[in-house]
Amino acid sequence: MPTLDSTTAIAGWLTSRVASYLDTAPDEVDPDQPLADYGLDSVYALSLCGEIEDELNLTVEPTLAWDYPTVNAMAGYLHGELAGRVASQ
Amino acid sequence: MVHAVLTADLESVFGDPFDHANPVGHDAVLAADERSEPLVAGEQALDAWQANAEFVPAELGGRLTTVDALVRRLRPVFRRDAALGLGYGVTSLMAALNVWSGGTDAQRKQLADTLLDGQRVCVAYHELAHGNDVTANEMRAVRRGMSLVLDGRKEVINNAGRADHAVVFARTDERAGGRSHSLLLVDLSELPADRWRRLPRYRTMGLRGCHLGGLEFHGCPAPESALVGDVGAGADIALRSFQVSRCVTAGLGVGVLDAALFTVLRFARGRRLYGRTVAQIPHARSTLAGAFTDLLIADSLSTVAARSIHLLPANGAVYAAATKYLVPLLLEQAMDELAVILGARFYLREGDQAIFGKHFRDLPALSIGHAGGVSCQLTMLPQLPQLARSLDRAAQAPTALFDDSAELPKLALDALRLRSGPTDPVLAGLPDLLTALRRADRTEDTAALAAELLAELAELRYDIAATTPHDLGVLAPPAALALTERYATLLAAAACLGTWRHRRRSGDTAWIRLALHRLLARSRPGVLVQPAELDEALFTELTERAAHGQDFCLDAGRVHRQLVD
Repeated sequence: MPTLDSTTAIAGWLTSRVASYLDTAPDEVDPDQPLADYGLDSVYALSLCGEIEDELNLTVEPTLAWDYPTVNAMAGYLHGELAGRVASQ
Repeated sequence: MVHAVLTADLESVFGDPFDHANPVGHDAVLAADERSEPLVAGEQALDAWQANAEFVPAELGGRLTTVDALVRRLRPVFRRDAALGLGYGVTSLMAALNVWSGGTDAQRKQLADTLLDGQRVCVAYHELAHGNDVTANEMRAVRRGMSLVLDGRKEVINNAGRADHAVVFARTDERAGGRSHSLLLVDLSELPADRWRRLPRYRTMGLRGCHLGGLEFHGCPAPESALVGDVGAGADIALRSFQVSRCVTAGLGVGVLDAALFTVLRFARGRRLYGRTVAQIPHARSTLAGAFTDLLIADSLSTVAARSIHLLPANGAVYAAATKYLVPLLLEQAMDELAVILGARFYLREGDQAIFGKHFRDLPALSIGHAGGVSCQLTMLPQLPQLARSLDRAAQAPTALFDDSAELPKLALDALRLRSGPTDPVLAGLPDLLTALRRADRTEDTAALAAELLAELAELRYDIAATTPHDLGVLAPPAALALTERYATLLAAAACLGTWRHRRRSGDTAWIRLALHRLLARSRPGVLVQPAELDEALFTELTERAAHGQDFCLDAGRVHRQLVD
């Protein structure tokens, strides 16, 4: 697992998770398409939040998926949170 | 006006329920129920007691400090008449929680004054077409200039026919998702009278004294200042309030079983059949002991959940849902079993046992009124994988979660999370608590119980790990939904064990052993035989408490009711 220290790396990891939920290949997932358009509802958002917390050691709320509905938007937000954590250490 | 001083406990206010002359006794409660009217004398007693102050935080002049204390102080109302409790004002609390957490200082002050003035606030989430699927709700609030224009209807809303204030959940964005709805605190008396109306009352099977009605709006402008929190924050705020109100309704329901159990015990001691009293028949004694144990389980779980709101707010989302799922089920199943003891008396709407029938009808209505069982299961299900993954590294719950003499931190609704995580401190404590029980009780039965519960925990983790996100939504297969029942059952086992260990009680292990037997039998029926001496021990405690005027809850508090010899 590469370190998730850039927006691109985080987006790649998120894409792989979303692809696994959809039983599809990662390159089938458009990182700028809202996840809801793929039929991923709030329940998937909860699962994804759990995986994000365990993987990135960040506390995230399901509102993440409401406010950042695409892979790229989510990755940008998460990278900002991680960078903020590094800066405050 | 400050209402911080609690004058008397409600048990003393309500007096002996079996006294025929008591204006808030069983006769009066049943007569009001037959007329489908609220118990007026009960509402007056609650007014005099300033019951609404229970719903207002202390810093705003009320008496609300902790969720646990709120439940314990209001439980006497539900012991007497659940329709009175819900109808008088628990729904005002459900409405107000949103304003306490999401409102401006001005809104908080306004609502506090309204409630402390004795007025009701109704909470308008429900639309018949959408049930617990709240984010599908259709009623709209559309911004036009400085107004929000309301269109649509809210149905089966308690007190909608008589409250002058409402907290309304309305769609403010056509897109799907969690940001589509907002909350509004509306003073109905200030809305243009030709743009809204109160819907007629709905007739119900239980809680017949409640004024369940509705509200309908047609292009009705509400001031922008009615918004509670940001536009789109409705679900966010409501899902936090639900965690508190789920713990509260579950905990209050325990009072209903407490009263019903007394009624049946009183009957069983007086009724003679086959040359002996019903209370001398082993099946009846075992049923009564089992119902008493289920009550203690329900109280343990709902108390732990209520205290978790303060101590483990990151876990409220799953603990409250598990509690609101399992506690009503335990209570209703205990009522079913107790009904058997009453025999044909169960069907009579008159006589000393008629009150049992009322409790029996009220309880399911109370349970479903806030969030139905399956809705709670669906809330739990997607949260389980992360909790199960983290059990080995989870810190254990603080002992104050179980010890009712420990002070709780202030209620902080904004500390609650929409999703429980990252760990599950209560369930993580199960193995150590079982070890403590085995040290205190070296019987083979306890060793077997501990082994079976640990095996069930291991299997549950395995089965949760085997799910995929596809299994965890509304279309979850029944086996996946069953994981939530098994989870809630083990959570209840941990809650009971923590209560047994850390709350000041006698050193006896009978109740905790019988509690664990009954919980285990839910997930693994028939694997262990419950020793008959446990039934006898619980039956003895039950009758002693009844004889000494103590309730059947964890508190064993004073109650005004007596057995007849």
